[in-house]
Amino acid sequence: MNKKIGVYICSGCEIGKALDIEKLNNVVSSEQNVTICKNHSSLCSVEGFNLINDDIAKENLDRIVIAACSPRAKTEVFDFPENILLERTNLREQVAWCFEPNDENTQMAAEDYLRMSITKLNNIEVPQPFIAENISSDILVVGGGITGITSAIEGAKAGYTVHIIEKEEKLGGWLNKLHKQIPYSAPYSKLIDSEIEDRLKELEQFENIKIHTSTTINKIDGQPGQFEVYLQNGTEEKITVGSIVTSTGWNPYDANNLPHLGYGKPNVLTNVEFEEFVKNNPDKDLPKNILFIQCAGSRDKDHLPYCSGFCCGTSLKQATYIRELSPKSNVFIVYKDIRTLGLYEEFYKEVQKDDQIFFTKGEIEEISEENNNLKAIVKDTLLGEKISLSVDMIVLATGMVPNGTEDLNLNYRLGKGLPELKYNFSDSHFICFPYETRRTGIYAAGSLRAPMDIAASKEDATGAMLKAIQTIEATKRGEAVHPRSGDKSYPELYLDRCTDCKRCTEECPFGSYDENEKGTPLPNPNRCRRCGICVGSCPERVISFADYSINSVSAIIKSVEIPDEFEEKPRILAFVCENDAYPAIDMAGQKGLKYSPYVRIIPVRCIGSINKVWISDALSQGFDGILQIGCKPGDDYQCHFIHGSELTETRGENIQETLETMMLEPERIRTEFVEITDYDKIPQIINDYVEEIELIGPNPFKDM
Amino acid sequence: MDKIQKPVLIIGGGMSGVTTAVEIAEVGKEVILIEKIPYLGGNVIKFNNYFPKLCPPTCGLEINFKRIKQNSRIKYYTSTEVIEVSGEKGDFKVKLKTTPQFIKNNCTACGKCAEVCPVERPNDFNYGFTKTKAAYLPHEMAFPYKFFIDDEFCKKESCNKCVEACEYNAIDLSAKEEITELEVSSVVVATGWKNYDASKIDNLNYAANNVITNVEFERYIASNGVGGDKLLRPSDNTEPKKIAFVQCAGSRDENHLPYCSAVCCTASLKHAINIQELYPKAEIKIFYIDMRVAGRNEDFLNKAKANKNIELVKGKVGKITETENNNLILEAEDILSGKKIKYEAEMAVLATGIVPSGLNINLNTDKDHFFTDLQPEGIIPVACSRKPMDVSTSVKDATAAALKAIQIN
Amino acid sequence: MIEVKPDIEFKKQLKQVSKSSLNECMQCGTCSVVCSLAPDDRPFPRKEMIWAGWGMKDKLIGNADIWLCHQCGDCTTYCPRGVNPSDVFSAVREISYQHYAKPKFLSKILNNPKWLPVALLIPIIIISAILYTAGTLQIPEGPVNYSKFFPHAWLNSSFSSLWFLTIGLGIVGLRNFWNDMKKQNPDLKPTGSFIKNLLSIRKEIILHSNFSSCSAQKTRKIAHLLVFYGFIMLLFVTAFAIYAAVTHNYPLGFLNPFKILGNVAAMMLIVGLGIMIANRILNKKDFGNSTYSDWLFLISLFLLTISGVIVEAARFLNWGLAYHLYFFHLICVWFIIIYLPYTKFGHLMFRVVAMVYAASVGRRLK
Repeated sequence: MNKKIGVYICSGCEIGKALDIEKLNNVVSSEQNVTICKNHSSLCSVEGFNLINDDIAKENLDRIVIAACSPRAKTEVFDFPENILLERTNLREQVAWCFEPNDENTQMAAEDYLRMSITKLNNIEVPQPFIAENISSDILVVGGGITGITSAIEGAKAGYTVHIIEKEEKLGGWLNKLHKQIPYSAPYSKLIDSEIEDRLKELEQFENIKIHTSTTINKIDGQPGQFEVYLQNGTEEKITVGSIVTSTGWNPYDANNLPHLGYGKPNVLTNVEFEEFVKNNPDKDLPKNILFIQCAGSRDKDHLPYCSGFCCGTSLKQATYIRELSPKSNVFIVYKDIRTLGLYEEFYKEVQKDDQIFFTKGEIEEISEENNNLKAIVKDTLLGEKISLSVDMIVLATGMVPNGTEDLNLNYRLGKGLPELKYNFSDSHFICFPYETRRTGIYAAGSLRAPMDIAASKEDATGAMLKAIQTIEATKRGEAVHPRSGDKSYPELYLDRCTDCKRCTEECPFGSYDENEKGTPLPNPNRCRRCGICVGSCPERVISFADYSINSVSAIIKSVEIPDEFEEKPRILAFVCENDAYPAIDMAGQKGLKYSPYVRIIPVRCIGSINKVWISDALSQGFDGILQIGCKPGDDYQCHFIHGSELTETRGENIQETLETMMLEPERIRTEFVEITDYDKIPQIINDYVEEIELIGPNPFKDM
Repeated sequence: MDKIQKPVLIIGGGMSGVTTAVEIAEVGKEVILIEKIPYLGGNVIKFNNYFPKLCPPTCGLEINFKRIKQNSRIKYYTSTEVIEVSGEKGDFKVKLKTTPQFIKNNCTACGKCAEVCPVERPNDFNYGFTKTKAAYLPHEMAFPYKFFIDDEFCKKESCNKCVEACEYNAIDLSAKEEITELEVSSVVVATGWKNYDASKIDNLNYAANNVITNVEFERYIASNGVGGDKLLRPSDNTEPKKIAFVQCAGSRDENHLPYCSAVCCTASLKHAINIQELYPKAEIKIFYIDMRVAGRNEDFLNKAKANKNIELVKGKVGKITETENNNLILEAEDILSGKKIKYEAEMAVLATGIVPSGLNINLNTDKDHFFTDLQPEGIIPVACSRKPMDVSTSVKDATAAALKAIQIN
Repeated sequence: MIEVKPDIEFKKQLKQVSKSSLNECMQCGTCSVVCSLAPDDRPFPRKEMIWAGWGMKDKLIGNADIWLCHQCGDCTTYCPRGVNPSDVFSAVREISYQHYAKPKFLSKILNNPKWLPVALLIPIIIISAILYTAGTLQIPEGPVNYSKFFPHAWLNSSFSSLWFLTIGLGIVGLRNFWNDMKKQNPDLKPTGSFIKNLLSIRKEIILHSNFSSCSAQKTRKIAHLLVFYGFIMLLFVTAFAIYAAVTHNYPLGFLNPFKILGNVAAMMLIVGLGIMIANRILNKKDFGNSTYSDWLFLISLFLLTISGVIVEAARFLNWGLAYHLYFFHLICVWFIIIYLPYTKFGHLMFRVVAMVYAASVGRRLK
C-alpha cells in the first residue's frame, strides 16, 4: 500500500503563539511521503475536523499526523476509521505549555516531534487482528463449591455453555457440611438453612450446564478461545473451551499446629469440625459451657498472618444455633477484634442480644484439662483483669488456606497453575482491577483468590464469569483484554533470526509463549496482552507488533536532529510509560510547569518493552543521555504489566555492558519511577538529569 | 427474529459505574453511562491513594478513561441525572435531565475562560477548602477534559468576560436544561455513597477548626490537594505534628449509622502511614473500637503497628474540645488499661462512614437506605449503593453487575 | 485473676429491673468519657457494663462506683448501642438495697407492687396495736388534738425505737457493703476514719456539686436540693417537736419559727418532688426508666408531705376527718422513716457510705 501522509498543525491553545508554524510547515514538507500539510487555528473544531476528513477522501490519505494537543485529549473528535493510521504530535501539553514560547529550543522540539511522528507513520502499519478459527464460546468452571456453582449458573444465564468439574462425587463443597448459614441480607437476624439444595436444583435446570463430577484435569493446552482440556473421569475426555474460571476453594488451617489452644485435647474442635458435628448430630445434647477462640491460628505470624474474614461471622452463627438447640448452654467468645464488617454489624448486634453469649476481647494464655473439664486462662480482657473460664468444649475459629491452582495442570511454559500472591492466594495485585490475571482467559474466583465468605464468593463468582465471557468475545474480535483493551496488534516473530535464548518465554508476564524442545518460542497470541515486554527482551529483534516494533522506534530515534555543538544543546531521550508517566508529563504541561526543552519523549507500552537496540541506537545517534520513566516496581508494584519496571532493573546490567563497550559513562542511562500524580516532580526529574549530563559532557558519538 | 438489543443504562460514573460500563462494552454490548456531576471518577478520584498499595486511584482511572475513549460502545453523559424510569426488563424507558454547564464540548481546555473569570467559588473537589474561578477545570485529570461554569457563582451575561475570551466559541451562558428520553434493556444503579454528615455528631466537635473528616483528609494529604506537598492544618496553615484519628465517627452508632462502614479502619491506617511518609516524626494516635482490617490487609495493620509513632488505642473518642490555640483535646477510655485519656492533638480526623447517596426513583431499600437485592428484574444495584465496601470489592461487584446486566435481553 | 461463672438469674433480674438491654454493649467506652463524674482511673460505667453483661453480681454489688453515679443520663444519651448504663446502675442500686437488707422479707415486700397491701398492713396493724395498748384507739371528742389520739410519749417512743431498729439493721447491711467493697478491691486500703472521710466530702453533699456537671438534665440538681434540704429541715423540726413535746407545750403555735420552718420545708419538698415526678413522666428519654421502687419512694414522700400539711390544716380548721388523715400521715411517715433501708430512700445511706469509701481509698470524682 502506498503511504500517503497528511500532516495537520493546529495553532490554537497557545501553540501558534509559541511556535513559528510556517517554519514547521517547511520541516514537514521535506519529510518522506508527506502528501499534504495544513494548518488550522483549531483542528478540533468542526471545520478543523472536516478539513482533515475531506482531505482523507480527496487525497486518499492513509496516515494522519495531528500536531496539536495531547493524544489523551479530544479523542472523541479525532476518531477516524480503523484503516487510517493516526499519530498525535503533542505540541500543546509537551511543547507549547511547558517550554519558553518563541524560543529556538522550543521550535526545535516541535520540529523534532513532527519528524518523529512522520517517521513513525512511515514505519508502522495498521494492525490486522489475529482471529483464530474455531473459537469456542464454552466456559470451563473448575471446582463445584458455591463459587463454581454460582459461576456456572450466571454464565449459563447469559447464554454460554458451561462445563463444571468437581473432583468429589458430589457438587456443593463446604456447603454440604453446613448446619446453618449466616444471613446475608437485611435484616440479618435469622440464620438460614444451607442453600446448597436450592442452588443444585437451579443448576440442573440449565441445559447448557454440563456437570462433570469425580473429575480431574490431566492437562490444559492452548489459549483463550481454544483451550483444550483433558478431563479424567475413569477415561480421558477432551473438551474445548474459550475461557476458564477456577474456584477450587480452600481448606481449614491445620489445627494440629495449635496445641497451645488446646487442640488435641478431648472436646476441643475446630469451627469446621463443630459445624459437621452439629450437622450430623442435630439432636445430641450440647454441653453447658462452650468457649469459642477467635483467630485460632489467624492473624498470627507463626501460623496464618492474615485475617480469614469469615470466622467471626461463623462463630456468631454457631453461637446462635447452640443457644437455639441448647437453651441451657453458655457460650463464651474470646476475640481479638470482632470483624463483622459493613452490614454484618446488624448480625453481630442480633447475636449480642442473647443473654447467654458472652463476649470479651482477650488473649488465650493457657488451656488446661482436668477431669474432662477444660480451663482457659484469658488475659488482656475487657473485664479489667485476667479471667479463668471452666468450659466443657472449646471451638477454635480456624482460618482458611487457599487450595491453589496447580490442579489446572496448565501445559504452560511458566507453570501448571496461576501465579500466586502473598500467602498463596491467586489474586490480582491491582485495587482497580481485581480480576487482572496473568494467565489470560483464566480467572480465579472465591476463596482461592482471597479469604471470603459465601456471599462474597458468590459475587466474586459472577464477576469472574463476566471476565471469562469477555475474554471469549474479545478473542473473537481479535482484541486484547485489559489493560490494552481493544488493541488489535499482536506480536509477530521472525523466527529465522531466533537464537532460542528463551528470554521472551521467560520474561512474558502472561505466559504467552510456550517453547519447543530446542527452546524456540511458540507464541499464543490470544494469551498476549500486548505489553511489548517480549519486544524488549529479544536481543535479536525477532519480535514486533505492526504498530510498535524495534525498527519503528529505532527510526523515530534516528529522526531526531542532534545539534553538533553540545555546549548549548544537549539532547536527552526519554522513554516514558504511556500509562502513568506520559499523563504525568501532560499534567505538568497543563499546570504550566516548565522544564528543559532538550528532552525528547517517546511513549512506550511499558518500560519493560524498551529494547537494548533502541538505547544503543540513541547513543550512536548522539543523544547525550537516556531517561526511562516507568511505574513503581517492588512489592507494591504499580506496573500494569507486573514486572515491566522490574525488568529494566535486571536488564540494567546488560545495558551497562553496552555502555562500557561504547566507552560511555554509566550515568548516560537513568531509570526513574513515578506515579501518575507525580506531575509536580517531572520538571525536577528532567532538569536534574539534564544538568547532570551537562556536567558529564557531550556524547562522543555526536559527530560520528 | 431477534429483537434489537437495547443498551444498558448505568447510573453513576464513579469507580463502580465506570467499571460496569467498560466491562459490558468490552463484552461487546452498548452502554450508556450517566453521571450527575461534571466529571467521572466519583469519590474515588479524590482519594490521595489506596490501601494497602498506597498507589493513586488516578492510575487505574486513567486506564479506564482510555478504555472509555477508545470504545465506541460506551456513551457517557455528565451533569446528567435520571428523573424517571418506567417499563420492565429488556424494555425500560428512562428520562434524563442534563444540567447546563455553559461550556460546550468543543472546549479545548485551554484555560482562557478561567484566566479572565473575575469570580471565585469554593472548590468542591477539595471540599471547599480551596477556591477556583467560576469557570474551572474540576481537577487536572478531569474526564471529560474540559472546563465548566458554576451556575451558582457565574454572573452570566452581565460579565461575559469568558465568552469574549474564548477563542473557540465554546461558551454559551444561556444554555438550558435538557431532557433526553432513552430506551434501555437494564439499569445498573451505581449511585455510590457520600460520607456521613459529621456535624450531626455533636460530641466530636466537627465545628472546631482542626477537626476534619477522613474524606476531607484525603484532599489535605494529597500532593495536589489543599496544602500542596505539605499537610497543613486548617486553623493556621501550620504542619501538625500530633494527629489523632477517631474511628467509628458516626458508624456503629444507633444515634447515627447503626452499621459498620467497612473501610474506615483501613483508611485511617493508610492516612497514618501517609503522614509518616511525609513527617516521620509526627505522632499519630488512632482510637478504635475494633480494628476491622479484613483479609490480607492484616499486613497493612501490622505495618502501621510496627511504626513506633503510630499508636492504636482501643477506646472510642467520646468528646473533643478545642483549646485556645486551636488544638484539640480528645477524650477516650483506654479500655485495656482502664484509664481515661485526654490526648492533645493538633489535628483530629473523624473516620466518618458511608451513607448511600440514594436515587430519586423508587427502589427497595433496607432500613439504612441501602438498595436491597429485591428489585424489579433488570434493575441492578451495585457496590456502595448496596452496602459499604472498599474500592476493590466495589470493582468486583461492578464486574458482577456487568454480567447481571447482559443477562437481560 | 477471677474465675468467671455468669449469674444468669442476676443478669435477668438486672435486665428486668432496668428495662435496659445489657448485651448490645460493645465496650467502646463512650459512656465513661461522657460521664462527667467518672474518675480518670478505672472510670465507670463501661467496666460495670461488661460485668453486668457477664452476670458478675459480686463485682457490681460491692462496687462503690455504682453509688458515685448520680444518674444524669449522659451515658445513655451518647451510647452508640442504645444501651442505658444509667438505668442499669439504677437497677444495680435497687438490687443492692435488697441484697443488703435485713430482714430480707421487708425488702421483698417493698420492692414488688404485689406485696404493697402487706407493706401497708404492717404499719396499720402495728400503729393500731400501739394505739390499742395506749388505750386511744378511737376518734377523740372536742377540738382536734392529735395527742389525744396518739399520745406524744407513745408516738415518739414507739416510732423512734422502731426507727432505730430498722436503721440499725440498715447499718449492719452497710457494714457488709463496706466489707464487700474492700473485698472487691484488695489492692486498695482505706485510710482515715469514717468521720474524717465523711467530712472530706461534706462539700459534695452540702452543695450537691456532683449534680452540677450533668448536662442532660438541668432541673435535677434544683429538685434534689429542694427535697434534700426540705427533708432535713423537716427532720430538724420533728426533732424539735419531740423535744418540745417533752419540755413545752405542744403543738406549736402557727407563728412559731419552727412551725414556719416546717411549712417552708414542706413547700420545698412539694416543689422538688413535683419537678421529679413531672420529669419522670414527661421526659422519659433523658430521665430513663422509672421502676416501682422509684415511684413508691417518690409518691410516699410526696404523700407524706402533702398529708402533713393537710393534717396541720385540719388541726387549725378542726376538720372532722383530721384523725383519719393523721393516721394516714403516720403510715406515710412509716414508709419513709421506718422502711428507709428497704426503699429507694436507702440510697441516702448507701451513697454516703460509698462516697466515704471512695474518699478513704482516694478515689475522687471529677
